[in-house]
Amino acid sequence: MMAKTLQRMGDGRMVEMTEAEVRKDIEEGTKDAASRAKIPPLSEDEIKHILDIYTRPERIVSVEPGNEVVLSHDEGTVKINAGVCGGAGLGIDCGRMVASELYERALGADIIEYGHIDYSFKPIRPILADERILVERALLVTTAPFLYGAMPNLGLYTQPEGPFPNPTELLNKGLIKEARESGEGMVEQAVNDMVYIASGIYEAGTDAINLDTTGAFGDLDFAAALTATERLKKKYPDLCIEMGMAGEFILGIHGTITYDGVRLAGLYSHQQVKLAEKAGVTIFGPVCNIVTSRSCAWNIARVITFTKACVKASKIPIHNNMGMGVGGIPLNDTPPVDAVTRASKAAVEICQLDGV
Amino acid sequence: MGKEQQELLAEAKKSIISFDVDKAKEIAKKGLTLGITPAVIISEGFVPGITEVGDLFDRGQLFLPELILAAEAMKAGTTICEAALPKSELKEKKKVVIGTVEGDIHDIGKSIVVSFLMANGFEVYDIGRDAPIENFINKAREVKADVIGSSALLTTTMEGQKKIEEELKEAGLRNKVKTIVGGAPCSQGWADRIGADAYAENAVDAVIKIKKLTGLS
Repeated sequence: MMAKTLQRMGDGRMVEMTEAEVRKDIEEGTKDAASRAKIPPLSEDEIKHILDIYTRPERIVSVEPGNEVVLSHDEGTVKINAGVCGGAGLGIDCGRMVASELYERALGADIIEYGHIDYSFKPIRPILADERILVERALLVTTAPFLYGAMPNLGLYTQPEGPFPNPTELLNKGLIKEARESGEGMVEQAVNDMVYIASGIYEAGTDAINLDTTGAFGDLDFAAALTATERLKKKYPDLCIEMGMAGEFILGIHGTITYDGVRLAGLYSHQQVKLAEKAGVTIFGPVCNIVTSRSCAWNIARVITFTKACVKASKIPIHNNMGMGVGGIPLNDTPPVDAVTRASKAAVEICQLDGV
Repeated sequence: MGKEQQELLAEAKKSIISFDVDKAKEIAKKGLTLGITPAVIISEGFVPGITEVGDLFDRGQLFLPELILAAEAMKAGTTICEAALPKSELKEKKKVVIGTVEGDIHDIGKSIVVSFLMANGFEVYDIGRDAPIENFINKAREVKADVIGSSALLTTTMEGQKKIEEELKEAGLRNKVKTIVGGAPCSQGWADRIGADAYAENAVDAVIKIKKLTGLS
């Protein structure tokens, strides 16, 4: 009888699989990614490498000394005290400044990320002055590079929270022209907000801005983030901009919106990064979301196939997004360490990542 | 089935993938003239077309406005076929009440599910986002829904999906309606834990699961 190995599913459940079954999942995962994005699947050596990592009996695996990578975060420090006000986080009532110090001194973060509890650009506009003061003060007690993050989150610009009719609702009524016009209005307002807010935060002293979950509202969201990046880089050439994505391809909500003459809908990571580079993005964070009904081995093969193509196409550093439900890591609030270390090691070693 | 009829069914599928409303109508009429039953024109012609549209959307090769256009072609073709069905074969459309749970304003995934369900012939009642739990129950009662679908994007709001299950039991409706959950933090394990009938990984999966829940497949 073939020996079984302990594996995780995308929802975090532990299951037993034979080595042959794990291998089959890896092969199927890479084939799925390759066929979707029209990119090469993983090589035999790469498949074997993933198989080796995922069938090891140790709980924790790691990279060899010298191969460590930089970690940047989305909303990192906010997650320490979030939950106090109703958000999802550790709920330690310590304030963001103390959270920044904890992140650097106790947790050894390479990069400090600050953010508003809502973590979207739109709600920051009326309280920018307060955020600037907090950023200035946090910079005085930290030494690591300082990132201020928020999501373009174009959904907030739709009614009732925002002024624009919801393009997806208009589409469902068959009003395609109206949906596109509304979406274009949303992009314009979001770009104004992002440039205004990021300018204020940069002038307060931050080293970088993180545009997180770019593409969450599809091609409209991506268009806004690219345009905002371009304007910010013209204004502040030394500003570092990290762009983290929302999915492996850009959802076509508008369907025909372009940037630099390229239609944004349907672009995969290796295509997204080229436009990000053109706009002036400094660090790019591709995303591949977990499929909870498949094994982590299947998922990581898929992640690595997409990300490898992205790294190959890119001239800027790539920090692969990895965390709850992303990058081959299970969908758990506190993902299991065996799954996290396996996914990280495999992605760093095969994709030659600059960071995570 | 003869060659001409098989070719017609292939054309029916193509008319949906190319969002050609006029072609879909023409094919429907021609198919009936050729003696193909309306049910077969729909199930073996138009439905494979909309299924492929769903697959292309899932792969990022086709976009939401195009899905809507394909749905219009689907509606055009199926309306002609349904008009030719004997009254005894005419099935009432299955009804789905869907919304994003209270406290959660993310709705793009839910809206895409709405688009897919409409394209696949369901009668959809979209109660919007940040929807109070009683709105799901009241709407389901009002329209005699077959399925309640709830979306949640946050771990802090997905508890609303559990409340829907509890409220349905309290209202004495649990045995009369099926439930399906979706959204980024959800999983089959979550659906099992709260007693939901199904979990959908994405919009394409939602249609497959809802068809199964309502006996359409």
